[in-house]
Amino acid sequence: MTEKAIEIKNLDYSYPDGTEALCNINLDVFEGEFIGIIGPNGAGKSTLLLHLNGIFRGNGNSHIRIFDLDINDKNLAHIRSKVGLVFQDPDNQLFMPTVFDDVAFGPINMSLPKDGVEASVNDALEEVDMVSSIRRPSHHLSFGEKKRVSIATVLSMKPQILALDEPSSNLDPKHRRNLINFLQTLKLTTIIVTHDLDLVVQTCSRVALIDKGKIVAAGNTLDILRNKSLLETHDLEMPNSFF
Amino acid sequence: MKHAYIDEYSDIDSYIHRLDPRIKIISLFAFILFVIFTRPTSFIAFALYGVLIAVLFLLSKIPPGFILKRSLVIIPFVLMVAIFIPFFKKGEIAGGYSFGTLKLTVTYDGLMILWNILVKAYLCILSMILLITSTKLSNLLKALEKLKFPSVFVIILSFMYRYIFVVQDELMKMKQAKEARTTGGSRWFHVKVLANMIGVLFMRTYERGENVYFAMCSRGFNGKIKIITGFELKMKDFCFMLIIMSILTVIRIFGS
Ligand SMILES: Nc1ncnc2c1ncn2[C@@H]1O[C@H](COP(=O)(O)OP(=O)(O)O)[C@@H](O)[C@H]1O
Ligand SMILES: [Mg+2]
Repeated sequence: MTEKAIEIKNLDYSYPDGTEALCNINLDVFEGEFIGIIGPNGAGKSTLLLHLNGIFRGNGNSHIRIFDLDINDKNLAHIRSKVGLVFQDPDNQLFMPTVFDDVAFGPINMSLPKDGVEASVNDALEEVDMVSSIRRPSHHLSFGEKKRVSIATVLSMKPQILALDEPSSNLDPKHRRNLINFLQTLKLTTIIVTHDLDLVVQTCSRVALIDKGKIVAAGNTLDILRNKSLLETHDLEMPNSFF
Repeated sequence: MKHAYIDEYSDIDSYIHRLDPRIKIISLFAFILFVIFTRPTSFIAFALYGVLIAVLFLLSKIPPGFILKRSLVIIPFVLMVAIFIPFFKKGEIAGGYSFGTLKLTVTYDGLMILWNILVKAYLCILSMILLITSTKLSNLLKALEKLKFPSVFVIILSFMYRYIFVVQDELMKMKQAKEARTTGGSRWFHVKVLANMIGVLFMRTYERGENVYFAMCSRGFNGKIKIITGFELKMKDFCFMLIIMSILTVIRIFGS
């Protein structure tokens, strides 16, 4: 059996205003696995992702482990270099003046030497095919390009786990196709939060369905995505590729 | 949407554009110091400073109309501050005007100060415009960082540069959405809608701020900004600085 990359036990989380966003989440993700987290808007998917690198800590006796590390203040820096989190809105992910600065932000914080930083920036941009834009200001990129650079900003930290929040949202068919091709070549443990179920079918072997902060179903991708009534009770639609 | 109004002409390829931004900042600083410490009566010196900056602008290939427009935008602010000085400075009276009991007089000393402020302000403004329009803002920020400006200051400027466009886009979209749905309506109604839009904009911007902070933390940010910069000073950079310094000194010595 492969190693557990992520172990989530009894995760509860309420926002400071009292919104109960997550309730008793239990989930294991294994090394090298592609897992899809699906669910309607407001289900708590993004909130769950923010727990994977300790931005949010669950309430009470919630417990999250990344490989052999518990998430606590001492391990935080280490965990953040292992878990690459890509936010949904690329304008939030890209906050530096130029593409280079943005992709270099993580490696610099990891205190890599200057040539190490430059090498990882180049590698990361190469992976998403954006090397030629390295000197451009982020605000001049197209939406699809921003999304790609967003992924590069965490790849440059050489993470072991990649967590993507709605990677295909607002992409045109061509960029979406490129994204899927890119994901299919990835060798990392990958968590994809989305309601693009076709994307899930093509990339993920396992799926967890979340609604109102609870995991309502988890298992093999095809078993869950073929279950029409389950999807419809949770405001989702069967992927087009099944028709 | 594309915008470039901060460093609109920074993509031109010219001698001035290719200079190391640190050299430009230091030369600008020297220029401003020289101008400030020139005696108000050194009319020739001011003319020569003017010629110097004009030559630099020519070298930079930035359209003169743009420079003029930019510089004139700032002049009214200087005028607002300085315009009253001639009326209050005591000295030999150059002229007067009376409104009933109120008598206004203008003195030569006062006029001299006004001239002094205006000419110096204008020269400084022109030099700032030259720096900003001939340098990519991202490079300017890096240069400031390299010159040991406080990193908090630099990073706030860079966030401003990054997000001013995002916020503007957001507002434009809201405005378009509003215009698509409103036809007519009273003025009061429009004011209310506008107030609402500004409220929503603030909320969204606040949320964005939160998310950007999370995104920074996710990539190992712990309150300290670290930047690596890759500028290399070349021979021509030193030459430029030395030439500017010598010209300034020459003007200083022979122009007064
Ligand atoms: N900053 C916040 N403060 C309070 N409630 C929030 C905040 N962010 C999200 N929520 C609420 O938490 C729930 C889960 O949100 P989220 O994780 O963003 O859902 P999803 O990503 O699945 O669409 C929603 O009910 C949402 O309204
Ligand atoms: Mg979300």
